[in-house]
Amino acid sequence: MIFYITTIILLLLLAPILLSFIKSLKMLLLFKRPAPLLQGYKNFAKLMQKETIVSQETSSITTYAPFLVLSPLLVTMFFLPPIVHGAFYVSFVDAFTITGLISLSTFFLMLLGLDSASAFGGIGSSREAFISALVEPAMVLTVFSVSMMAGDLGIGQAGVNLAEHFPKEHMASFLFAGISFFILLVAENGRIPVDNPETHLELTMVHEAMILDLSGVYLAIIETAASVKFVIFASLFVSLFIPVGLEYSAPIAILIFIAKLFGVAIAVAILEVNTAKLRLFKVPNLLGISIVFAFLSLITFYVLGA
Amino acid sequence: MFQFDTLSIIFVGLILLGAVPNLFYSFGYLPHIERKIHYQVHYFAFILSMIGVVVAGNALVFLFFWELMSLTSWQLILTEAKSQETIKSARFYFFMTHFGFVFLLLFFLIVTDGNLEISFANMKNIATTFKYPTLLFFMLVFGFLSKAGAVPFHVWLPYAHPEAPSPVSAMMSGVMLKVAIYGFARFLFDVLYPWPLEWGIVVLVIGSISSLVGVLYALSEHDIKALLANHSIENIGIILIGFGMGMIFDSLGLETLSTFSFIAALFHTFNHMSFKSLLFMGAGSVLHQTHTKNMEKYGGLIKSMPITAITFLLAAISISALPPSNGFLSEWMIFQSMLGSSNITDMSLKLAIPFAIFALAMTGGLAIACFVKAYGITFLGLQRSKNAKHAHEVNFLMKLGMVLMSLVVISLMLFTPFYISWFDKTLVSLHHVSVYTKIFPNGIWNMHSVAVHGGVVSPLILLASLLGVTLLLFFGYKALHVKTRIHHTWGCGYKTSAKTQYTATGFAGPIRRFFNWLYKPNEHFHTEKIGQHETKFTDSNYEVHAKPLFEASLYESSKKLTNIASYWVYRLAHFEKTRYAAMIFNLMLLVLFSYRIFSHEFSWATFALESIVMIISIKVLIIGDKK
Repeated sequence: MIFYITTIILLLLLAPILLSFIKSLKMLLLFKRPAPLLQGYKNFAKLMQKETIVSQETSSITTYAPFLVLSPLLVTMFFLPPIVHGAFYVSFVDAFTITGLISLSTFFLMLLGLDSASAFGGIGSSREAFISALVEPAMVLTVFSVSMMAGDLGIGQAGVNLAEHFPKEHMASFLFAGISFFILLVAENGRIPVDNPETHLELTMVHEAMILDLSGVYLAIIETAASVKFVIFASLFVSLFIPVGLEYSAPIAILIFIAKLFGVAIAVAILEVNTAKLRLFKVPNLLGISIVFAFLSLITFYVLGA
Repeated sequence: MFQFDTLSIIFVGLILLGAVPNLFYSFGYLPHIERKIHYQVHYFAFILSMIGVVVAGNALVFLFFWELMSLTSWQLILTEAKSQETIKSARFYFFMTHFGFVFLLLFFLIVTDGNLEISFANMKNIATTFKYPTLLFFMLVFGFLSKAGAVPFHVWLPYAHPEAPSPVSAMMSGVMLKVAIYGFARFLFDVLYPWPLEWGIVVLVIGSISSLVGVLYALSEHDIKALLANHSIENIGIILIGFGMGMIFDSLGLETLSTFSFIAALFHTFNHMSFKSLLFMGAGSVLHQTHTKNMEKYGGLIKSMPITAITFLLAAISISALPPSNGFLSEWMIFQSMLGSSNITDMSLKLAIPFAIFALAMTGGLAIACFVKAYGITFLGLQRSKNAKHAHEVNFLMKLGMVLMSLVVISLMLFTPFYISWFDKTLVSLHHVSVYTKIFPNGIWNMHSVAVHGGVVSPLILLASLLGVTLLLFFGYKALHVKTRIHHTWGCGYKTSAKTQYTATGFAGPIRRFFNWLYKPNEHFHTEKIGQHETKFTDSNYEVHAKPLFEASLYESSKKLTNIASYWVYRLAHFEKTRYAAMIFNLMLLVLFSYRIFSHEFSWATFALESIVMIISIKVLIIGDKK
């Protein structure tokens, strides 16, 4: 139980650092002076002190939706696979529920975009709806495939099973599922080939456009939600697709886990530096690749058993 | 004459759950209907006839109530027949429902040997001696699924549902389609059991296509009631996916999985009844206040109609299958039953089912997009028209109807184990194994899938934790006493007005562009440019209408074909005598030639020669010159 709570607190604390880390690594790779690692915390503290400006065109949705964007993600944090051998994990939640909780958060975010009566909010919501509609099938198929290799659909149990009996005989389909999931990680978190989190240009914005009219604490909540979402995806990725290091004693296992998270962050940063943002109507091609890999993973598993 | 077995009883329950809140809503709506007596007579006859259908014990009673149900609903669509459109839609509905009726009549005439008063159990004995059971199955598919609105018989829904008065659309979409599902289930289980594997696959394919087609056309729709009608097609598709999986598992002998899938389908039937009725009631209230069905004229209604907005939001979350709503739970069950396909040994079938999973997942994603659009454009933002500005909350009875219906939605969410045990009993009465103890092995908290490696979900814990965390965050925010300032939305230096918002057309733009090959939209783009400027204009208007593929291809082309055939029949009836003589001559030639071909040695050369002679003689003597 103590490890369970430690993990959740650790992930929450790591969430802003990971995003700042990606940012500063990117700046470093582009020969700029990198932002400090604690920039996320600084922003958070700054936003918490500011007053909240609420637009008079908005309705009660804006008052409540930011909490409903964050709370499904916070609930998801409790359902993640364990990072230490023998630690407590929640066994009654499966991958579909987690997919659903993330969609619930996105649903309210999209409503939030439409509530402010500005054209930007509409742009963001419309694009997000388009992207997340295509993410859904890839996600479900990947989850299906992984659940068969792990021998359980429950996320916690699947993580444990994969760590204990790594499916060497199913390496091919495991790899395909991993590629598919990594594309989803990039797409769902609005990283570069799909969305550019750093610009505020109406041609490119997706996530930023939806939250353009938020300020103060509300903005802090939404920013936290974005970082929590990234840390959820990253930890799902490392628990399901890089299931190593659980067998060591607790402190080492935790350190390995953190290292793996930073590994994912480095991969994302390198990807971001080396690719340009795709046009919105090219994004389905990328997600199509993800869907195809998920199908391939299933088919190799069924037909070749590999 | 009547029978009250468990399957009938649960559908009576479904009709009552759908009808009671609707009654209140309907009485609230009554002052705005001109032909009050006409409306009430048909309304009550409609409800009673639906109950009659589900408790009917023989074919005659069944067909009587079925026809009564069709006719009363047809008259209800015509209650407010002010425009030619309404009459046209009603006629289309009348035609489609009788198209199905013909097949049902044929089915009953075959399985009862002409004696329509025998019980369903006796029908089974006759059906087993019938040589072509697949023919009977397709009669059921045509008969019931044309009423339920599955592809390709779905074309009447987006016409009929919007034209009916709102309580009736809620009733037709929420309840009447389910009565058709009842009929399909009843005769498959009671008369045509056991099923070959192919039937299940047919149902699964129809379900997958319906769900995708329904949601895609819903996205391109701007008429709010037509949007909801298209979503009915989608949800009937989802129900049929569950149903089809159940049939497949049953014919493969996987009994627990089969029961599980059927329970999922029944559960989704109930869920769809609850949230679709609620959505139609909400749409009806909005329509009632703004006097338009066009979503582009709405906006900002959450401020003037809070109760409608909140109940609509609940239904929207439920239909988008987001946790912890009841819609999520039934869709979760259907997903789990499809994951059970890894137990199937037939490789080609095993590889095909992921495509159905893909269709269902895609449907889920698009449904979220569609309901963000429907909710966001209707209730959020600024009012896009004068009517929307003057809207206010509807009267007490209508509000009561909506609140009662949302209680039905919530009860399906909270008392899932109770409902599932009920469905389980139904399937046991239909000679399936019981799986209730497998779904809820340790108390009511956790819901298990019966598939190997299946998942677990705990709706109540999920609901409680979501509520808890949200309230914690909210009160935490309150405790901070953050200073709040009210100001305008930033509009890049321009004034924020209703015209700067996104429209429903714009919102669905990216998806419409991606599925352009399917929609083949008619676009009208008109701008009043200033002088020679390319980019400066005073007025601009963009309209887009998706062409319904099935209507354009299947229905229009069959119409064209009939036209051509009738033209030739007309020509034939108005020939001169010489032409008739020529036809007799040609017929004799045909008989002679075919006699030669069949009784003597066949050779391609003479066959070709004779064919050419035939063609020339037909062309010259019968068809003649073109005038």
